[in-house]
Amino acid sequence: MRLALKHPGAALGIAFLAVVLLASFVAPLILPLDPLAQDFTATLDPPSAAHWFGTDELGRDILARVIAGARTSLTTAAGAVLIAGCIGVPIGLVAGFFGGWRDAVLMRLVDVLLALPGILFAMALIAVIGRSQMAALVAVGITGIPGFARITRAQVLALRRLDFVLAVEAMGGSASYSMFRTVLPNAWSPILVQVVILTSVAILLEAALAFLGVGIPPPAPSWGDMLRTGKQYLYEAPTYAVLPGLVLTLTILSLDTIGRTLARVLEDRQGAHLATLDEPA
Amino acid sequence: MIGFVLRRLAQMLPVLLLASLAIWAMVYAVPGSPVGALVGENATPEQIQATIARLGLDRPMLLQYWSWLHHALEGDFGLSIQNREPVVTLILQRIPATLQLGLSASAVGLALGVPVALASALRPRGWLDRMLSGWSALALGVPTFWLGILLILLFAVRLRWLPSVSAYVPVMDDPAGALRNTLLPALTLGVYVSGIFARFLRAALLGELRADYVRTARSKGLRERDVIGRHVLRNALLPFVTIVGLMTASFIGGAVVTEAVFTYPGLGRLLIQAIDARDYPLIQGCIMCILVIYIGINVLVDVLYAYIDPRIDYG
Amino acid sequence: MPDDAVLSVRGLEVAFPGGGQAVRGVDFDVHAGEVLGIVGESGSGKSVTALAITGLLDPSARVRGSIRLGGLEVTAADRETLRRMRGRDVGTIFQDPTTTLNPVLPIGRQVIEGQVAHGLVAAGAASAKAAALLQEVDIPDPVARAGQYPHQFSGGMRQRVVIAMAMAGQKRLIIADEPTTALDVTVQAQVLAVLAERRRQTGAAVILITHDLGVVAEVADRVAVMYAGRIVESGPVEAIFHRPRHPYTAGLLRSLPRLDTVAARLLPIEGQPPEAARLPTGCTFRPRCAIGRDQTLCATTDPALREDGQASAAACHFPLTGLLPPLPRPDAGAATTKGEDLLVVEDLRVHFAIRSRLLRRTIGWVRAVDGVNLTIRAGETLGLVGESGCGKTTTGRAIMGLLAVRSGCVRFGGEDITNMRRAELRRIRRQMQYVFQDPFASLNPIRTAGEIVAEPLRIHGLYEEIGGAAYVAGLFERVGLSPDMMRRMPRQFSGGQKQRIGIARALALQPKLLILDEPVAALDVSIQAQIVNLLQDLQQQLGLAYLFIAHDLSVVRHICDRVAVMYLGRIVEQSNRDVLYENPVHPYTQSLLSAVPLPDPDLRDRTRRIVLRGEIPSPARLPSGCTFHPRCFRADAICAAEVPEFTCYPGLPTLCACHHAGPTRPEPA
Repeated sequence: MRLALKHPGAALGIAFLAVVLLASFVAPLILPLDPLAQDFTATLDPPSAAHWFGTDELGRDILARVIAGARTSLTTAAGAVLIAGCIGVPIGLVAGFFGGWRDAVLMRLVDVLLALPGILFAMALIAVIGRSQMAALVAVGITGIPGFARITRAQVLALRRLDFVLAVEAMGGSASYSMFRTVLPNAWSPILVQVVILTSVAILLEAALAFLGVGIPPPAPSWGDMLRTGKQYLYEAPTYAVLPGLVLTLTILSLDTIGRTLARVLEDRQGAHLATLDEPA
Repeated sequence: MIGFVLRRLAQMLPVLLLASLAIWAMVYAVPGSPVGALVGENATPEQIQATIARLGLDRPMLLQYWSWLHHALEGDFGLSIQNREPVVTLILQRIPATLQLGLSASAVGLALGVPVALASALRPRGWLDRMLSGWSALALGVPTFWLGILLILLFAVRLRWLPSVSAYVPVMDDPAGALRNTLLPALTLGVYVSGIFARFLRAALLGELRADYVRTARSKGLRERDVIGRHVLRNALLPFVTIVGLMTASFIGGAVVTEAVFTYPGLGRLLIQAIDARDYPLIQGCIMCILVIYIGINVLVDVLYAYIDPRIDYG
Repeated sequence: MPDDAVLSVRGLEVAFPGGGQAVRGVDFDVHAGEVLGIVGESGSGKSVTALAITGLLDPSARVRGSIRLGGLEVTAADRETLRRMRGRDVGTIFQDPTTTLNPVLPIGRQVIEGQVAHGLVAAGAASAKAAALLQEVDIPDPVARAGQYPHQFSGGMRQRVVIAMAMAGQKRLIIADEPTTALDVTVQAQVLAVLAERRRQTGAAVILITHDLGVVAEVADRVAVMYAGRIVESGPVEAIFHRPRHPYTAGLLRSLPRLDTVAARLLPIEGQPPEAARLPTGCTFRPRCAIGRDQTLCATTDPALREDGQASAAACHFPLTGLLPPLPRPDAGAATTKGEDLLVVEDLRVHFAIRSRLLRRTIGWVRAVDGVNLTIRAGETLGLVGESGCGKTTTGRAIMGLLAVRSGCVRFGGEDITNMRRAELRRIRRQMQYVFQDPFASLNPIRTAGEIVAEPLRIHGLYEEIGGAAYVAGLFERVGLSPDMMRRMPRQFSGGQKQRIGIARALALQPKLLILDEPVAALDVSIQAQIVNLLQDLQQQLGLAYLFIAHDLSVVRHICDRVAVMYLGRIVEQSNRDVLYENPVHPYTQSLLSAVPLPDPDLRDRTRRIVLRGEIPSPARLPSGCTFHPRCFRADAICAAEVPEFTCYPGLPTLCACHHAGPTRPEPA
């Protein structure tokens, strides 16, 4: 509670995310919201009591689709972050801990991923493996690997120089003991911050891919795809593109604020470093 | 100096090679036969045979890569499948548009971001700093495609001041027309990048303001504006140059989304069209070209950095 | 206020929001041409006082009281007036020369820009004047040097640049805040000489803030001793050092090991200095004071600083009288019992490859350790001394097996352990442990103190067998910590306590040899003495052997049986402690010893100080022949050509590597 008062922005962010999560995972169980039910008598309606966000070109309820879109968006982002973390963190750990040729080889591979802006990389990948939710998830996940690898490596390198890691070796601890029991537990906080920030980047990237028409294929509801279609009806139904975009934006802002507050709190505690954001989407 | 440039370029060589291998190999990773993707689904067996022979697909893989790379190095990425034009010609047509947008977006980003960073760093944790930090968060958090849509709604749909679809008008030929067409996409990208610039520069300035040499400068009795202008800013701008260069580089290839929002005819849009049409030679050419530009600017930024930072020698 | 005072401070108080009172009522004057030394341990408020005088405190600090500089009241001055004061009247020298200069501006511009900004030097004359200022602090080739950047200067040269900058123009007051703390002792001697010379030329008043009693005794005319935000004693330098009135001053002096004599045991001040936010009632020193601890007067009333009629003043209800008695000397008959050879190091070389950035080819070697021979016998202490970059820490880590050895041999208990694999070394490491310099960095921040001490036992799977928590509690008691503290996290301990935890951890496996890498360098004098005593007690109780790595020659003299002096990766002289300190034969040892300032103002001009030229060269580009020859006052042609052999010096139990080894001055016949 005291933390919430001290960081009102992050508290608001958490509250908003809680609403989105509740709405997307619990509401469909209680409320009669069907994102796919078409109603050709009511296409491109403005917001009303029956349809709070209005209806789309096929007469589907936009709010229902936003809620369903949240589910796909959040699960895709979570999966992507999981992939990125599970690959990126070990790469950074090994590269930073052992250095030498392992470091050179691993980081050169990471450089290749960074040689293109993330969105282009994801697009090229999807062009090869075809459009699907899994494809979007994998593509977004792979673009997140360099972030995790670099943050982990930087953290491990900094820790590696500290005497308490050397002390473990002097005590006779094995390499795996000092890597997993000493270095990694001390490297968590920036990785945690990176998880939050990368989730927001992943949501943004997934939406951008859908907006470009290479994300999750329709008719599955997706925020980016709704913006893509809504953009065609700017004159007829301006709220069509605006409202889903607003929810998307607020979600990203919430995560970003939480991530940065977390970074500050952890930094005050033990001096972690905030991840720098990379490419635009 | 020249040696330094060459060394930096040489360092990028393995990255380029690996990336080019990946780009070349992507056609082969496509589900189904690559020839199918190239000749279309209704091709006769004779056509397929002819294509295989023409493309040399019956040769060993490494040889095929070598010959592709060899041609690519000479600027020959083959013909576009959609309209049978050389890929290089299509790409070269788009470069001026992409450059114009990328540079103007960076200019907008600097114009918005640098004053914001200065104002907030000079009074950290004051009310102005809080407001401006909020601005940076907003600039970064609002997806460019949504901001673009909002701008179109306001300036094109409501006010009818500007076109909702942006064409490429060279600024040399028609400055007013160029402004009308480039303003919205440049603003969209510029607002985003101003958030990055502001956040980065603010952090750099705050870091430098804590440095001991600032106290030394104050102890000499310098005016605060000289302490900032001559000492702090100079140090903070060094890493900032890198960020500005990197962002500009990423716009030149990576403004895909913004170009799509405004249907602006840049490189990114060409790539999207190529992907939609499964036009593999064009996809390969676009990505390769963006890669080269991106890496080229990276090297340029490194060299510039080494040039302006007295601590780095070229040795 | 005497009319000739340059600076007059009355009732100065500085408080930080949330941090308590850093300065709690400080009064002092500084007169023209005088050096006032302000001594105190970390957190005593001495640096905050200095910053308050120049008006450079953080804006959030609340300042009360009066600071008068000439006719100006600093606490009430507006920003513009303060700026003029800093530009024209006051110069400041800060501690760390690696960070006080702007890395991206040329040196010359930084030296002169204050003068130009205040219109004291015309812009056109600036570069000539900058070169002249550099010349005055003995920077060779000043015109070319003025165009260079800080990273092209060595540490000592940078500090001389800062002195040139601070003393440019006719400054009336110079504030030097720990000006030599970051420098090696031979470089400190150069910088202090330059500072003294420039002071004589300009006649400025100087406030010298330092924790180093030797430096104060060497250069100060008057001394103020600060404790917990107040001046507890002030007076002429001789009075402070010979007849201290305040128990804290006396305690500091008795905590201090001496270069020129050996004491049986130091008498440290118990406990730790209080935090500014949690001061005890009454006299702030009472909890640590042997005299006042049980006095009600001391517990209720904070004593005022009272003059004693002889230009001295002390803030104590029960001031000491008379001369400070010297520390008891060790028994003459306490000869060291010679054990068996425990550790033998032969011709040890540790070289680090310099790799090209592109292909990572090896293009050169940093010869960090380049032929070191050492022997440590069971139960004895060998001191390894040298300045920063001489390779002493690398030697310690290579012996411990933490670094790869290029050539040579390390034998422990008769067994060759050179470049052993990590798994094989486990066995050896039960008997040989390491204590690190930085107590803040050497403890895992996310484990409790108890877990940290138990960690080596768990790694070796001995925790249950050896006695578990009860055994760890015993270790805590052994190093003077309460077993209640086992559950605390490292950040809840002070520096001295952390070092005790580090020692307890090293003792857990019951080793025979401890490698102590600067174990007291990061600690304040009073805490340092506690740890030194603890180490001596442990050695007696447990029969441990120590390799004591340090740069502080006084501490080494106090604690070691034998001493090896290292320069640029090699041992240049090694002998029994008293022989080495009283009859050094290598010119480097001689200059090192002569450079250490002694905490006794009577000995200021005792001998001709040998001020070495230049600074330690990079171990990547070793000089030819004897590596010391470019700085040596005895060097001749043979020194540049031939590497001297490390061999016995006739008549003394000394090994020495010098072509011209011999006593400092010819012995009387």
